[in-house]
Amino acid sequence: MTEIPETQPSPPRASFFGSGAFSHVLPFLILLAIGIALPLFAGGYWGVIAQRACVYWVLAAGLNLLVGFAGQLAIGWVALLTLGAYTSSVLATGNVLPPIHPYLALAVAGAVGAVFGVIVGLPALRLRTFYFAITTLGFATIVTQIALAWTSVTGGGVGVQGPVLPPPFDSQWGFYYFCFGIAAVCTWMTMNVAASRFGRALTAIRDAEVAAEASGISKPGLLVTVFLFSGAVAGVAGGLFASLQSYITPDAFTIELSVLFFIGILIGGRGSVLGPLLGTILLTVLPELAAPLVAWSTFLYATLLLVIVLAMPGGIADLLDFKNRRPLQSNRAIVPRPELLPRLLGEHRNSGKLTLEDVALNFGGVHAIDGLDLTINPGEVHGLIGPNGSGKTTTLNVISGYYAPQRGTAKLGGEVLPALARHTRAQMRIARTFQTPRLVGEASVLENVMIGGTIDGQGTFAESLISLPRHRRDEAMLRENATLALSIVGLERLAAVRTDRLQHSELRFVEIARALMLRPAFLLLDEPAAGLSAEEIRRLGALVVEIAKTGTGVLLVEHHADLIFDICHQVTVLNLGKKLAAGTPAEIRSHREVVNAYLGG
Amino acid sequence: MSMTRRQALTSASAAVLASGIAKPAIAQKSPIQIGYLPALTGPSSSTGVGINRGVQMAVEEINKAGGIDGRQIELISRDTQSDPTKAVNGAAELTRGHKVSVVFGPVNSGEAIPVVPLLAKANIPQLHPCWVDQLADAKKYPLCFRNGPTNQQIGGAANRYVVDVLKKKKVAIVSDTTGYGTASVNAYVPMLKQIGADVVYQAHVDAANPDLKPEILRMQAAGAEAIMPWSVNAGFLSRIINTRGQLAWDVPICGQTTLGSGQTKALLEKPEYWAKVYPNNFRPVCYGPDGKLPERTRAFVDKLRAAKIDMSDTLLWWIAVGYDTPYLIADAIKNSGPEAEKIVAHWNTLKDYPGIYGEYSFTPDEHNGYPDRQVVMVEANSLKDGAFNLAPGYGGA
Amino acid sequence: MLQSIVLSGLAIGSVYALIGVAYNVMYSASRVFSFTAGTLGMIGGILGSLFILRMGLPIWLGFVLALAGGALFGVVTEILAVRPVLKSLDQHLYVLSTLALALMTQQFAAIEWSTEPQPFPRIFDLPRGGFDQTFWLPMLACVVTIVGLELLYRHTLVGHAFLAIAEDNYAARALGLPERNLRIASFAIAGAIGALAGFAGGQLLLAFFANAPLLTFYGFVPVALGGMGNNRGAVAAGLILGLFQQAANFLVGGIFASVAVFAAFIFVLLAFPDGLAGPSTQRRV
Repeated sequence: MTEIPETQPSPPRASFFGSGAFSHVLPFLILLAIGIALPLFAGGYWGVIAQRACVYWVLAAGLNLLVGFAGQLAIGWVALLTLGAYTSSVLATGNVLPPIHPYLALAVAGAVGAVFGVIVGLPALRLRTFYFAITTLGFATIVTQIALAWTSVTGGGVGVQGPVLPPPFDSQWGFYYFCFGIAAVCTWMTMNVAASRFGRALTAIRDAEVAAEASGISKPGLLVTVFLFSGAVAGVAGGLFASLQSYITPDAFTIELSVLFFIGILIGGRGSVLGPLLGTILLTVLPELAAPLVAWSTFLYATLLLVIVLAMPGGIADLLDFKNRRPLQSNRAIVPRPELLPRLLGEHRNSGKLTLEDVALNFGGVHAIDGLDLTINPGEVHGLIGPNGSGKTTTLNVISGYYAPQRGTAKLGGEVLPALARHTRAQMRIARTFQTPRLVGEASVLENVMIGGTIDGQGTFAESLISLPRHRRDEAMLRENATLALSIVGLERLAAVRTDRLQHSELRFVEIARALMLRPAFLLLDEPAAGLSAEEIRRLGALVVEIAKTGTGVLLVEHHADLIFDICHQVTVLNLGKKLAAGTPAEIRSHREVVNAYLGG
Repeated sequence: MSMTRRQALTSASAAVLASGIAKPAIAQKSPIQIGYLPALTGPSSSTGVGINRGVQMAVEEINKAGGIDGRQIELISRDTQSDPTKAVNGAAELTRGHKVSVVFGPVNSGEAIPVVPLLAKANIPQLHPCWVDQLADAKKYPLCFRNGPTNQQIGGAANRYVVDVLKKKKVAIVSDTTGYGTASVNAYVPMLKQIGADVVYQAHVDAANPDLKPEILRMQAAGAEAIMPWSVNAGFLSRIINTRGQLAWDVPICGQTTLGSGQTKALLEKPEYWAKVYPNNFRPVCYGPDGKLPERTRAFVDKLRAAKIDMSDTLLWWIAVGYDTPYLIADAIKNSGPEAEKIVAHWNTLKDYPGIYGEYSFTPDEHNGYPDRQVVMVEANSLKDGAFNLAPGYGGA
Repeated sequence: MLQSIVLSGLAIGSVYALIGVAYNVMYSASRVFSFTAGTLGMIGGILGSLFILRMGLPIWLGFVLALAGGALFGVVTEILAVRPVLKSLDQHLYVLSTLALALMTQQFAAIEWSTEPQPFPRIFDLPRGGFDQTFWLPMLACVVTIVGLELLYRHTLVGHAFLAIAEDNYAARALGLPERNLRIASFAIAGAIGALAGFAGGQLLLAFFANAPLLTFYGFVPVALGGMGNNRGAVAAGLILGLFQQAANFLVGGIFASVAVFAAFIFVLLAFPDGLAGPSTQRRV
């Protein structure tokens, strides 16, 4: 029934961000209750295993934002654990400087972790996925080797004592509650981030990077923030790890440990907090239960990972996602309600004209665009037609900053649009859709639409982390606007549904709703009618006309000549990168060359 | 016939499972639980596998003979997988999941380093054979005893042999880049200097480095008269021996006991390269000048043969130290009682306890129980049934 | 001494280069970087030792079987870890599936073979010393592989098909090329090349399970620096890496040599994210 285009992420995933409904929080409350009550029913041995699970989760919670949400495959994150462990141990035992208080040492470990999180993470901004994965492994090796060699500070192979916390956290259960408390806080913080515009932006970077850029999300800025956070909690986890181990040597920080964190997150499920939490607990506890299999434990983890990737890419979170198993109504229709547009788009926006002046661009000697002039007026639908390869989409990509023209400029209200600065277009209220819808398949429809309004949030990442009022206001505002935008395109009933369950035509309307979240001065639509039924095309046309009426200028790239001639105020015909004709639909319809070339008479 | 590592592992876990069920007739009194943390798998498990053969045999013997005052020994075993984090989990299980009277292990220093302070905190008496100096300290860890040599003793024996017996003053000392290797070199260089040697070359070498020729050439250029390698990596050690052989450089190699292991031997390009290689070993498990093992050891080896325990792929001292430990524990419990303070009090006054691996003595201030005189150097190429001939120079003693 | 460093540097560099070529051959056919590249080298070493030393087979037969084993593992990789995730290439699931397979194989080898390095047989009964087979075998294997691949790609029909696939997957399929069979064949070839690396370098690296992660990393350096899919670049970068590593071992010692190699790799990669050979443009929208 549901047709998913090839470029769409297909694995289903549970959605834990969103409404904050009780059912979302329930599993966490159960875990919290079990965690608090643990000493009542578990012996001291399980207390130690639980300490370990908490410490590992503190690291994995931060890493989850990086791996599960942002899709950055940081396999060697154990490097940060090592750094944190040595920092807190060396400072607390006073190997180099006078000993400092263990809590302070732990805080410093977090700070060092944050700084090095950025250093280890930075290659992600420049390198491809696999390359980045390998460089993190490189860092893990470097850190361990330095710990070995720098004997005067780290104790080399003999190691250094881990920090001993003061009472009441020096006893077995005292230390457990300390770790558990930090783990609970980390869980709460990552849940807050996951349910914020930052969490959604991260998934957009992972699954629909171009759409993230078009929504004004700056990948470097956001990733650096997440590296800071992930590094900081990994550093704290390292300090706790050192206390748990009592004595640390470089031998304790193996690549296997790093792989355990990584696999725990992935079998948990990408883009979930609960799944990786359960995954980390599972991988920590499983080898303790299966003692005879202990030699094969890495083999078993790896097998588990392979099975998950092949058979159940959504991981544990997907197993628990009951909501998205309910069948959807099969004969649902998209009924836009353009009358709601003024409520979302507000007062008349005046930003002047969008113009291209003598723009030229060629790819390896082929002229994609060759000296094109184009003017799009506010409140006007401007059609752009032409055969395949005539430069339509290239034109659109020059405006939205994917290509730098070799000659000429694009201007908005007389101001030059900086070339290649894609994420600045959202600030200028230029929104767009894509030929192939670029959406986060694993997120709900509503969340996808909310991504479009990312730049309108006021709160910072730190405010979201601890759910301060500004964060909550942002979320309420984005939720309200997104619901409105979905009503406008006629999909409000699907708001809570996971996006990869939608039909292709619905995805096109979701993209328009996302674009509307920017309250665009100009809206660039790249073949929005492709794959739509005749009835849907008609409704799309009516919607576009109404959007233009609110003052938005629309650039419509299309093959459907009927649609173009029905709704456009102006039409430009391209051929081989050059303007073949321009004018009103009526003028174009009678243009001899155009008629001969493709309207086919 | 021969016991592979995996069989050893299964039998160890089977012993744990079976011990509760077997021999219901004798098991009227509750068994005495002894915690055991061997490394039976993972990268440094050769030692653990050897030790395990001795431990299993001794426990079986003691139980067959009626246990300790009628109480069977129940070995609670956790494989540490040569991984410090698993060792910590294992120690927690032994001390908190079970109520063991005493713990033997871990058997690798890397795993003992975190476990020793943890057991000290849990007030469980501990016996381990690990070498790192800091791992037995009567003041810091009053319940922890070492029934093996310290690094100081190991290095001291090798250093004395090179300087005093072989009369080589210019020494090249190398290790791999593991914690054990780097710590050893850092500790031995000052010791060598103290006894008048000249350390002309010192380095930590990546054990994965496939070609050590430049390294050996540099030692040669520095004028070294002896090579002292410290590593448990058979690949690394064999490359040193092979390269010396290829260069036909006639200097002795003196160092870690693994220089004489079967694993190292298997990697030699020519058997004759093993000449003039002198690894550490222990006098009670070495062939004397008469080519015979000491009386007690000979009887022990006969028992091993009768029990069909393989000695060809391991070293006799590994089995011996494993074999001695349950007896040391049984002796303390039998004579003083199973409570922690009684076991500790017993060991604190132990004098020349006759084991196979050696004679052990402890005092309240000295928990390093292995005597200096028993740490010796041997001839690597005399390996036979896991034991060696004493190196030239020890003959008279 | 310099001669010795150069000799071993070029020899070990040849092994890295061959692993890099194995990476490339898999990449060209599938756009997938596989964590199993180093595993192939490990397999070549262990199977060589197993067949020739433990089972006593003739050397030529052991050689053929080791390569066949590598090729088989390549095919298994394709079926188990690559094909199922190809349709969602932009999600990078291949990183996880190939990592999983590599870890499984490595752990299996550690338990069933040995955690200690095992001896690898002498291939030719020649006197030892000087320019020994330990060193020239990997170099020879490298040369033979490169020449062989060039001949295959340039002068055979199948080779042209491989190139077409590497150039443009979709277009090649549209032309009616049996894309899937060609991909399987590529993985088999990559498997044989990886096993050849492990076999030819066996006397150098021994039959050791821990060679897998080592070669996975050091074999990727030539790919990253030589430019992906560029075999000549990989060979050049592999040889440079081998020389650099041996020189660093010699100059700064074992601990800092690996730090130097990793750090240099990361810095060079950050400076030239598309390899020293230059970028390849990609259309994204």
